[in-house]
Amino acid sequence: MKELGLYLGCVIPTEQYGYEMSIREVLPKFDIELVDLEESTCCGAPLRNVNMFTTMYLSARNMALCEKKGIDLYAPCPICHLGLTEAKESLEENPELKDKINSKLEEEDLQYEGSTELYHTLDLLHDEIGLDEIEDQVEEPLDDLTFAAHYGCNTIRPNDLDRPDDSENPQKLEELMETIGIGTEDYPEKLDCCGGQVISDHNESALTKAGEKIEAVQDQGFDGLSTICPWGHRMLDSKQDSAADTIGESLDLPVMYYIQLLGVAMGIEQSRLGLELNLSPVDNLEAIESIEEAE
Amino acid sequence: MSLIDLTSMAEPDEEEQEKIEETLEGLKEDIPDLCYQCGKCTSGCEAFILLELEPHSIMGKSKAGFIDELVNSDEIWTCMQCFKCQERCPQDLSPVRVIFALKNLAVAAGKEIPSGYQKMLQSVLGNGLIQQPKEVLNRANETRKREDLDLPPVPEPEDMDKVQQILMKATQEKLR
Amino acid sequence: MSGIGVFICHCGSNIAGTVDVDELTEYASDLNGVTFATNYKYMCSDPGQELIKDSVEEQDLDSVVVAACSPRMHEETFQAVVEDAGLNPYRFQMANIREQCSWVHSDDMEKATEKAKHLVEMSVEKSRLSEDLEKTEVDVNSDALVIGGGIAGIQSALDLADQGKKVYLVEREPSIGGKMAQLDKTFPTLDCSSCILTPKMTDVARNPNIELLTYSEVEEVDGSVGDFEVKVKKKATYVDWDKCTACGDCAEACRRSGNVEDEFNEGLDNRGAIYTPFPQAVPAAYTIDSEVCISLEYDGTCTSCREVCELDAIDLDDEDEIVELNVGSIIVATGYDLMDPEKIYEYGYGKSKDIITNLELERIIDASGPTDGEIHRLSDGEDVESVTFILCVGSRDEELQSYCCRIGCMGALKHVHLLRDHLDEDVDINICYTDIRSFGKGYEEFYRRTRDLDVNFVRGRPSEVNVQEEKVELNVFDTTMDKLLQVESDLVVLVPALLPSEGTEELSRQLRITRSSDGFLQEAHPKLRPMDTFTNGIFIAGCCQGPKDIPDSVSQASGAAAKASTILSKDKLQSEATIASIDDDICSGCKMCISVCPYDAIEYNEEDEVAEITDVLCMGCGSCASLCPTGAIEHKGFKDEMLEAMIDAGLTEEEG
Repeated sequence: MKELGLYLGCVIPTEQYGYEMSIREVLPKFDIELVDLEESTCCGAPLRNVNMFTTMYLSARNMALCEKKGIDLYAPCPICHLGLTEAKESLEENPELKDKINSKLEEEDLQYEGSTELYHTLDLLHDEIGLDEIEDQVEEPLDDLTFAAHYGCNTIRPNDLDRPDDSENPQKLEELMETIGIGTEDYPEKLDCCGGQVISDHNESALTKAGEKIEAVQDQGFDGLSTICPWGHRMLDSKQDSAADTIGESLDLPVMYYIQLLGVAMGIEQSRLGLELNLSPVDNLEAIESIEEAE
Repeated sequence: MSLIDLTSMAEPDEEEQEKIEETLEGLKEDIPDLCYQCGKCTSGCEAFILLELEPHSIMGKSKAGFIDELVNSDEIWTCMQCFKCQERCPQDLSPVRVIFALKNLAVAAGKEIPSGYQKMLQSVLGNGLIQQPKEVLNRANETRKREDLDLPPVPEPEDMDKVQQILMKATQEKLR
Repeated sequence: MSGIGVFICHCGSNIAGTVDVDELTEYASDLNGVTFATNYKYMCSDPGQELIKDSVEEQDLDSVVVAACSPRMHEETFQAVVEDAGLNPYRFQMANIREQCSWVHSDDMEKATEKAKHLVEMSVEKSRLSEDLEKTEVDVNSDALVIGGGIAGIQSALDLADQGKKVYLVEREPSIGGKMAQLDKTFPTLDCSSCILTPKMTDVARNPNIELLTYSEVEEVDGSVGDFEVKVKKKATYVDWDKCTACGDCAEACRRSGNVEDEFNEGLDNRGAIYTPFPQAVPAAYTIDSEVCISLEYDGTCTSCREVCELDAIDLDDEDEIVELNVGSIIVATGYDLMDPEKIYEYGYGKSKDIITNLELERIIDASGPTDGEIHRLSDGEDVESVTFILCVGSRDEELQSYCCRIGCMGALKHVHLLRDHLDEDVDINICYTDIRSFGKGYEEFYRRTRDLDVNFVRGRPSEVNVQEEKVELNVFDTTMDKLLQVESDLVVLVPALLPSEGTEELSRQLRITRSSDGFLQEAHPKLRPMDTFTNGIFIAGCCQGPKDIPDSVSQASGAAAKASTILSKDKLQSEATIASIDDDICSGCKMCISVCPYDAIEYNEEDEVAEITDVLCMGCGSCASLCPTGAIEHKGFKDEMLEAMIDAGLTEEEG
């Protein structure tokens, strides 16, 4: 049993409940005990725009909470994962900054050492748990489906920091999908951005980015899109209707978190995976129960 | 300074220019001086078509020292933070991080920042997260809250006031 | 009474403007062992040299110290003067009071003069302990080895052969010709590449002074300048080249015909197991690629080629052969390879057949190439309506090759001319460039003529290239217009960075020559010794030293031949006198010196259990002498007691 501090960040625990539910449901089946980090806050990454020091401070604070428990940290949100990684690597290279941050953490009786390993869903599943282990637990492979992969920008970039997959040719999500029977292939828009980071101030542009990506995937004949980023999922699934309105196209692409797909393939009760909260038409897929069925 | 921008009569400001480096201290070497303006960043910029963000031109102006113009611009707030510009820069530079630094300078100079970022900052200072837990809809248009879904309460620091105080001070700090 | 003479140079005002030369002269004349001291405006001038010569005689000097510029500048000059005056040249010492004193302390005359005194005193102290040294002589073998049979190697070989020198030309492919043989035309004259290259290749084949060793590789290099011993592996060709007339019957009969990727055509078509790289190959003969031959690699049953060869030239029992050569000098001309453009993954090389390199385009345009000069889409054979070049693919890139490839821009401009000749006039040609570098003679004029060919010069670099159903698509921001352009192309031509050719690193180790940080072979001086290496007798030419166009490669090749000739034309060479020597009685046989010697000049004598130095190999670097834990190694001209005396003199506090 591997214990991991579950660091959810902001978007997952305040609205992307489906991601959180499927994480809490699926990972324990792989001998992972998720330990909540009760005192945690925002990772700081969104505040890079405002003040870099605050960003580093918040990242260090959240990692310090995990260090206190003596366990490694799992951040399912790529933006948090990048923010934490950046802080971890920067503080390692810059002891003065580390001291400065530690002097602030002291006020809360915290201490940041840098001993916590960081995981994201992608490397946790692909590298730590491993494809063989996953394959062993598949009960109902999703053989009839062909899905496109959406990694999320921060999952793979920038590669001067340790990222879960290659920046230009990531394949781990595809391999994970293939492991549970889903067919997949590369598409030109694979690395394109969902627009999520500018949604609050440039709503229409953000929705246009999302809409164009959904449309491209849909036009290329994929049955759906698989995500591992709560910001991307929010844009491509939760806001798919608004995106459709914005670009004036009809969009009906099922979008699911990979871990939801995994849960389905493992035969986990679908209501436990938060599938009712996917607003894209996931029940167009045969393997997915409609809300009525789920109830 | 031997340069003057004749459209605005602005002159390069070396002091402000140095602040970019200061703001980025401890991160990558992001000094724009080495940029040779190939434009690869703007060719692939996710925010160019819709929001007219031109990372190469931000690098060019930063390099020349026209910082004031950038700090006062709306352009710097359109970056989608996809990091493609940095990833693909043949000179290993990071326009996205220079843009972060410019935004930091704008905040430090008390410029008005877009309301979304303002709200996010206030929310983090208020309760530690960029937003409060929401009631969401399911596909049948029914509302769902965390507790409806058997999810535990959202994490929150026990002494939020103290964290708030620390954060308020932190926002006045620089990496160096 | 004989003694040391000190000659202080003013170097105009270079030294005298900062150092009080009169005071220095007075100081020098009082130093231990000095019997004469003087100063003069320019000691290196004829009157200056005469002054030294006359003084040696008149003042009965046995040693000379000149305080002037750096020994790198004039050590040899003054050694010759001293020798002329009848002294051993190693009884001369030089104190550098210009680069190491006056130039760097021009703001403080008093202190500069004090420092100059120290420097002079140090040289005098060394001089007091100096002794006569003799150079050893080695015989020079007048033959040469040229490694690499591209245009640079060909030029070097021809030049040396024309001077009557015997030349071995080693090439690892079955034919000489190199990259130039793959080119259709050359810039900026648009000469047909093979039309100007082929005559040179046949000159090589006909020249009685050149022994051509193709399909061969250097295995081992020993010895030193004047007397290199080289082992070359002649790979088995399985064809008796004395009999083969290159009729080609065997290739037609080969059961693997059309099944093996053709390297000469950049993999755009196929050859068989028995092949000749291209029609004008020199030597004109066939070779069996043993790795793909059914008989040699698989079951040994196929005899198709043997059956059709009327000359009975096929010999499936042929074996690799080691040829031992003795040469006086070596020229390395091993050229370049293109960087694999897949390294810039976002440019999509390998994702579509319509994304190609400039060298592939070269083969496509060539009338004798894989498409007979017909230009179509490679994916489906459809007509080409738009061609887009991307320059600087991996060049000027901090993660890949930081240097400029020096041929990419001009090569693309050349391709514009050739495409305009081959394709309909309404075909779009786009060049995504960062800077067009047209620096050579006639190049800028060529660029201007190219601009008149209705080309879209897009000043910007695409971020990615995407393969769409019909076309290859890219977006590129043009910084001159501030516009993001979407470009649809039938062919996208990537212009990749140049790398040192495969095997350069290993060859540099075999030859004991250095490489610069970019991986190319390093010249001894970037400006003044561009074809020398740090290893005496080994020269470099062409792209192995750094990216170059054909004119530069040929110039450097002729230069290298001339440099090699200065060695090969001598009967004997003098080796260094200031080399290391080992005292057998003290040497403990620890072998540490052997491990640090960069020139492999030290060997272990098993019998006597001591290290031994081969004088002609020693370059006098001093590494072993400074390392030797027992002090058994003495560096002639830099003995420990000399250096100690110098240090003592250098550290003396001034009086008062």
